[in-house]
Amino acid sequence: MTPLVAPEPAFGRAGFAAIAGLLVVWEILGRLELTMFVPSASSVAVAWWGLLTDGTLLRSAGSSFGSLLKGFVPAALLGVALGLAMGRFRTLREVLDGWINALMSAPLSALVPVLIALFGVRDTVVAATVFLFSFFVIVVNTMTGVRGTERSLVEMARSFGAGEAALFARIYLPAALPAILLGLRLGAVQAVKGMVVGEMLISLVGMGERLIYYGNTFLIPELYAVIVSVLLIALLSSTLVQSAERALVKWK
Amino acid sequence: MSATLGIAIERLSKSFGAVQALADIEIQVKAGEFLALIGPSGCGKTTLLKCVAGLLPADAGRIVIGSRPVSGPGGREASLVFQDFALLPWATARENAEFGLLLRGAPAAERTEAARRALAKVGLAGSFEQAYPAQLSGGMQQRVGLARALAVNPQVLLMDEPFASIDEQTRRILQDDLLRLWSEERKTVVLVTHSMEEAIYLSDRVVVLSPRPGRVHRVLDVPLPRPRETLDVRASGEFARLVDELWQILKKMQ
Ligand SMILES: Nc1ncnc2c1ncn2[C@@H]1O[C@H](COP(=O)(O)OP(=O)(O)OP(=O)(O)O)[C@@H](O)[C@H]1O
Ligand SMILES: [Mg+2]
Repeated sequence: MTPLVAPEPAFGRAGFAAIAGLLVVWEILGRLELTMFVPSASSVAVAWWGLLTDGTLLRSAGSSFGSLLKGFVPAALLGVALGLAMGRFRTLREVLDGWINALMSAPLSALVPVLIALFGVRDTVVAATVFLFSFFVIVVNTMTGVRGTERSLVEMARSFGAGEAALFARIYLPAALPAILLGLRLGAVQAVKGMVVGEMLISLVGMGERLIYYGNTFLIPELYAVIVSVLLIALLSSTLVQSAERALVKWK
Repeated sequence: MSATLGIAIERLSKSFGAVQALADIEIQVKAGEFLALIGPSGCGKTTLLKCVAGLLPADAGRIVIGSRPVSGPGGREASLVFQDFALLPWATARENAEFGLLLRGAPAAERTEAARRALAKVGLAGSFEQAYPAQLSGGMQQRVGLARALAVNPQVLLMDEPFASIDEQTRRILQDDLLRLWSEERKTVVLVTHSMEEAIYLSDRVVVLSPRPGRVHRVLDVPLPRPRETLDVRASGEFARLVDELWQILKKMQ
C-alpha cells in the first residue's frame, strides 16, 4: 500500500527560505553598526567557529547535554508512567490534577533557588531543573491521550476477554502513543529551556554559564554564537523525537 | 465444530442510576435464527446487546447462551460487530482480524491462518490485508470488523447497527454478503437496526422494543422465502406489506 499523502519533510522549503531571509536582514542590520548589541551574522559565525575550534563550545555543550539527559530521561519515563496511571484511574487523576496544572503554569525558574538549597551549587541542580521543566507537559499529554481512547475499542477488547494488563498494552498505550510522542516533543523543548535557566542561575557549568559570562564581559558575537547553538540543540532534540514519532506512528 | 446455539433472555432488567433502560425483557432466540431488534432511539437496544455480550451486568433476570449463563465479558460463544467498526487504527486489516485470537492467546500461525480465512470469507483477500483502516472505505472497514468477529469462530453474532454509517449502495451489498455468510455458517444472529427495510430483509423475526424503559412491544414474523439475496425479495409485494406492517407498529407506539 502506498501512503495517500507524501510525508511532509521535517523542514520544508519555506522554512529554509525564512531562515535565509532572516540571515540576510540580520547581516544588513549588523553592518549598519547601530549598536554593539546587534552584531552582524557573519561576525557571529566567525565567533561561533572560534568557539567551536578552541573547544569551548564542545566542552560546555557536552556538560549541558549531560544535564539534559540526566533530567529528561527520568522525566520522560516517570511522566509517561504517571500520565498513563492518571489517565486510567479516576481517583488518582482527581487527587493530582490540580497540582499538575498548578505546577505546569507556575514560573518554575523561581524554584531553582530551592533546588540550589537542596542540592548545592552543582550540576545536579541543572538536571533537576530540566526534569521540572519537562515533566508536567509529558504527564498532561500522556493523560489526555489515554483519556481520548475510543470507548468502543475498549469494549471490543473486553468482549474478547481482555483483562486490565491486556487493555493497557494493546489498547490504551497504542491509542495514547501519538499524544505521548507529542508530549515528549514539547517536553524536549521545555527541557532545553530548563537546562539554560538552570545553568544561568547556578552560573557554573554548560552553555548557560557561557551565556552569563559573555553577557557580563560584553563579548556580544560570542554571546549570540552560544544562543544560536542553544537554539540548534532545541531544534535537534525536537527533530529527534519527531523522527521517532514518524517511525512509530505509521498508520496516520 | 460445535452446534449452533440459541439465546434465552429471561426477565432481564437494567438501569443506569435512576434511568431504567430495560424492563423485563423476555426473548428466546432459536439456534441458527436471524433476529432483528428495532425500536426508538434510546430504548435500550445497545444496552441489551451489551448485556448479552456480558459487557454490562444485568440488574435482574438472566441470559443463557446455549446452556451457559452469561456472567461476564470474554465468553467464547458470541462475537460483537460495532456500528463504528471499532478497528485499531494502528493495526493492518489482518492484524485487526487477528485481534480476538491474539487476546485469547492463540499461537501466531493459527491466528494468521484464521484471519486470512475470515478476510477471504468477507471478500477482503490479498493486498487489502496489509492496509490500515484509514486507507479503507467504510464498507471495507466493516468487512474487517466482521472478519474479526468471525475469526474466533463464534456461534452467535451480535451486531449493533453494523451498516448504519455506510452508504446505501454499499449497505445493500453488505446485507447480501451477510445473508450469504449466515446461510453458509449457520450462526445465530442478533442484529440491531434503525432501518425497517433492513430488519425485514434480513431477519426471520423482528422484535420491536418500546420507548424507554425498553420492553418487548411486539414480535413480527418474517416469512419471506430464502435465499433472499438471489430471489429479488425487495421487489415483492409481500416485502412491502411487511415493511408497512412494521411501520404501523412503530408509528402507533410513538
Ligand atoms: N453507560 C451508561 N450510563 C448511563 N446511561 C446510559 C449508559 N448507556 C446507556 N444509557 C442510557 O440508557 C438508555 C438506553 O441506551 P442505549 O444506548 O441502549 O439505547 P439504544 O436503543 O441503543 O439507542 P440508539 O438507537 O440511539 O442507539 C438511554 O437513555 C441511554 O442514555
Ligand atoms: Mg444503540
